[in-house]
Amino acid sequence: MTTSIRRHQTFNLWEPALQQQLFRQLLDAFAFPGAQPTPMLPQEAVANALLRLILATLIDGEVTLADPARLIPTEDWRKLETTNQAPEKARFIVARGDQAPTFTPALGSLECPEQGATIILRVAQISKGEALTLRGPGIASLTQVTCTGLDESWLQQRRDWNESFPLGVDMILCDDVRLMAWPRTTRISSKEGRPWDM
Amino acid sequence: MNPSYELPRDEAGYSFGFLDEYAKREVRRAILKAICIPGYQTPYASREMPMGRGFGTGGLQLTLSLIGRGECLKVIDQGADDSVNAVNLRQFIELTCPGVDTTEHTGEATLIQSRHRIPEQPLNSAQVLVLQVPYPDPLVVVEASEAKRKIMHGEGDYSRLLTKLYEDIVRFAEITISHRYPTRINGHYVLDPSPIPRFDIAKLDHSPALILFGAGREKKIYAVPPHTRAEPLVFDDIPFRAEDFNDAQGQRRACQRCGASDSFLDEFSSANGTATFQCSDSDYCNQRVAAGNGVSCEVTS
Repeated sequence: MTTSIRRHQTFNLWEPALQQQLFRQLLDAFAFPGAQPTPMLPQEAVANALLRLILATLIDGEVTLADPARLIPTEDWRKLETTNQAPEKARFIVARGDQAPTFTPALGSLECPEQGATIILRVAQISKGEALTLRGPGIASLTQVTCTGLDESWLQQRRDWNESFPLGVDMILCDDVRLMAWPRTTRISSKEGRPWDM
Repeated sequence: MNPSYELPRDEAGYSFGFLDEYAKREVRRAILKAICIPGYQTPYASREMPMGRGFGTGGLQLTLSLIGRGECLKVIDQGADDSVNAVNLRQFIELTCPGVDTTEHTGEATLIQSRHRIPEQPLNSAQVLVLQVPYPDPLVVVEASEAKRKIMHGEGDYSRLLTKLYEDIVRFAEITISHRYPTRINGHYVLDPSPIPRFDIAKLDHSPALILFGAGREKKIYAVPPHTRAEPLVFDDIPFRAEDFNDAQGQRRACQRCGASDSFLDEFSSANGTATFQCSDSDYCNQRVAAGNGVSCEVTS
């Protein structure tokens, strides 16, 4: 009994059952933009646990990954079995929210819009900061979210990248405990009205 | 099926949900992209399943990639929980997913895999509906080349499909597509909603639940996200018409078993050759009967 409890408590990113649970929370986040699931994470401090779990759930050798800010530990690269690619070409990009993007990600093509990149942004804290209003599929009328540690240029760039639907990029934001997703169809605006309002 | 054959689960070390983790990851990535691009047929590497293509392998791969311990699953085929396709798929999932519960009640299910119907009972936001799709592309009737169809979809160019509908009206005074009615999602992509009747198209529009479509043979996954517009392709002057089940006098027929006059009905031929009607959704019908809505004359077999 004690062994099984201890085994259960050990945090293993590569455990299929854990990845399935995280996937369902990602599914909720994408289906209902603005939803902020809080996945079950280890009690003990593991650096970037949520970000690494998201990667473990979505990445394998079939896709490419870019990590310009070097957020992924070396041992994870080995387990992810993927190739490190330039952010302009990669299917998945991991980046820091507080640093403005210095690249243009793949936006897909008219025939294959699914080849637009998924950007996973590490932000300081979801559910704090200035309110953003989201509209679009998955949202009944509108919903408000907040987020700190997100450079405004990400919103500006996102608007430009997603200008010609179906081309565009999809984003996953995560802090230490929560995640949130912005599909390319989600329109974001602020109360004051900013240049990146959609 | 060979009755003495047993799936060698222990020896082979099958993973939870039969599919290996790489296959699940592939399906999961496609699902997320499908939600991000509503109505777009996202290609994915469809795996061989231990059943024939066309028996719901696309829906099954979606279900097996979504499902986890503690899930409550409902599988239906043409509205019924107890027809061959539904029973076989449910048994397979029970066999390969220990810790998963199954139900026949729409309200109890967290995950519903369905063939050709959307349940009558309104879904809620905590549920996911998976539909099995034989032919994912509505443009296949007007364009044979997939490369060209992909460009047409991307451009939102459905003029040839509209021409087909127009020709139907000219020739038959009615659009002749009964089920699989082409439906535009969020104002851009037109999808084939799988062979659900026209009656169910309205349930796609601003559905509170996520609806996923899986075509195993054609290797496509697509989605209608919750709270998303789903409009059947029509003309301004000819409104969309769903099955109405009216008799010659214009009276709405009712289910002969539970008396429901708001459900999709299946037509049966009774012993003396007259037509009788019964709910296609067996759970809906059973629940109404259990609630005391039964009509005195029971079905005679």
